[in-house]
Amino acid sequence: MNQTVPKPKPRPAPESLPYWQAAKEHRLSLPRCEDCEQFWFPPSRTCPHCLSANFAFKDVSGRGKVFSFVTFHRVYRPAFAEEVPYVVALVELEEGPRLLTNILGVSHEDVRCEMPVEVVFDDYDEDISIPKFKPVG
Amino acid sequence: MNAFNQIEPSRELRDTCAIVGTATSRLGKVPGTSSLDLMVEAIRNALDDAGLKASDIDGVLCRGPDDSYSHHQLVAERLGINARFSTTLTNGGASQIMSVALAIMAIRFGLANTVVCGFSRDTWSRTHANEEVRVRNETRPESMLAREFGPEYGYYGATAAHAFGATRHMHLYGTTRDHFGEIAVAFREHALRNPDAQMKKPLTIEDYHAGRLIVAPFGMYDCSLRSDAAGAVIVTSAARAKDLRQPPVLIKGFGFHNNTRGWFADDNMVVTAAKQAGEAAYRMAGLGPQDVDTAQIYDCFTYMVLTQLEDYGFCKKGEGGPFVASGALRLGGALPCNTSGGQLSESHCEGMLQIVEGVRQMRHTYPAHRQVKDAEVALISGHGGNQVCHSTLILGRA
Repeated sequence: MNQTVPKPKPRPAPESLPYWQAAKEHRLSLPRCEDCEQFWFPPSRTCPHCLSANFAFKDVSGRGKVFSFVTFHRVYRPAFAEEVPYVVALVELEEGPRLLTNILGVSHEDVRCEMPVEVVFDDYDEDISIPKFKPVG
Repeated sequence: MNAFNQIEPSRELRDTCAIVGTATSRLGKVPGTSSLDLMVEAIRNALDDAGLKASDIDGVLCRGPDDSYSHHQLVAERLGINARFSTTLTNGGASQIMSVALAIMAIRFGLANTVVCGFSRDTWSRTHANEEVRVRNETRPESMLAREFGPEYGYYGATAAHAFGATRHMHLYGTTRDHFGEIAVAFREHALRNPDAQMKKPLTIEDYHAGRLIVAPFGMYDCSLRSDAAGAVIVTSAARAKDLRQPPVLIKGFGFHNNTRGWFADDNMVVTAAKQAGEAAYRMAGLGPQDVDTAQIYDCFTYMVLTQLEDYGFCKKGEGGPFVASGALRLGGALPCNTSGGQLSESHCEGMLQIVEGVRQMRHTYPAHRQVKDAEVALISGHGGNQVCHSTLILGRA
């Protein structure tokens, strides 16, 4: 970790606060509609599947697969100078929603679409833990 | 789509309006100018091209950088005109074709007579003012960055967003970087025929592969240019167009679609809204992909050309790689594409130069080495917003 240039700290929108609260406790929790029973992401207060406002945050399995991914070679911000090449992936959870994330614990050359992954938590500071993913097993 | 919201594009607008003037500003690296300077420069050149005066213009549909508020008002002020019909659209690179369509609707319904549509940017200057902005490579101010679900993962910029689609397409269909490279090489070859193009050096497939990786699978030659650039077209009724200086270029059709569920939703990163936008434009024009002689495709990245060619029906979904590898996109090929060099090699002006080039190809005034032989129909695509907004324009000779 580059101590002089910190990586950006998420600044949660009001709708996202329960997501980040759960992440701090190392739980992945997403809004789920009480009427149509579907999950969605990013958090909002209306179900995009049925427009119900009747929802609650619910823990998910944390398992999914890589839908697609890219590898950053260019350093767009000095905070990531030590990280390149690093993978940013779109992970499709078993419950349906897709999350943008990093893939850890594997060389960028070995990441593949459809690769099974599971959530891990990267503690940013005492307030924020960032959900990331690693290959299963 | 359900029966309630089926549409049938009206054919009443087909061939009712024409583009009678078109021009660009200086392109590429134009230090010491602003986006407004460049816009006025392009409009002045387009008025000269059309043989019109600023006072003949009563509609202004111009757009500038994303942080430029009410660009059209500032442009009209500098042109010294009060405009009957004036606004800025905000669909990113899909806005410019939409402004031409809006001009046609305004003209058709008596809200304006002669409308200038344009886009301008000072992106090369913005991203080269100092080392910090060069590294950030952002065209927008930092305050427009996402607050969460992006920057904390080191996710920045349009290159990465589009690269997700490229990876997925490669996974599903076996598309390769050689296919992307052929697009870059073909458009560079076209740019070398265009004295106004930003890029002047030849590009080989070996150069393409040797280019440094930016956000894989994209290397530097997969990415469009950072340009200072403006382009403008002047739209009026086909009846008025007959008496003007240039051979009028008729607007045969247009269409739009927006995969606003998101680039990351469904299959949107590999099947773009160009599909529905194109179908609507084809229906309005009474034409199909087999009738198109030249395509000017929104080429923010090589991959976006490949996938849009599929979505517009020039080949089947998944076959874009072999299609481009056949040499189809080259001048002299089956579907000459981005014949002035495109955003990859001429200059990136958010699709505005695609419209300019489509008009010029329809006029048949180019020297033979730049002209698509016997071209009667040009298809132009716009793409932008958060990767999901698409627009299509079909032009034809009068």
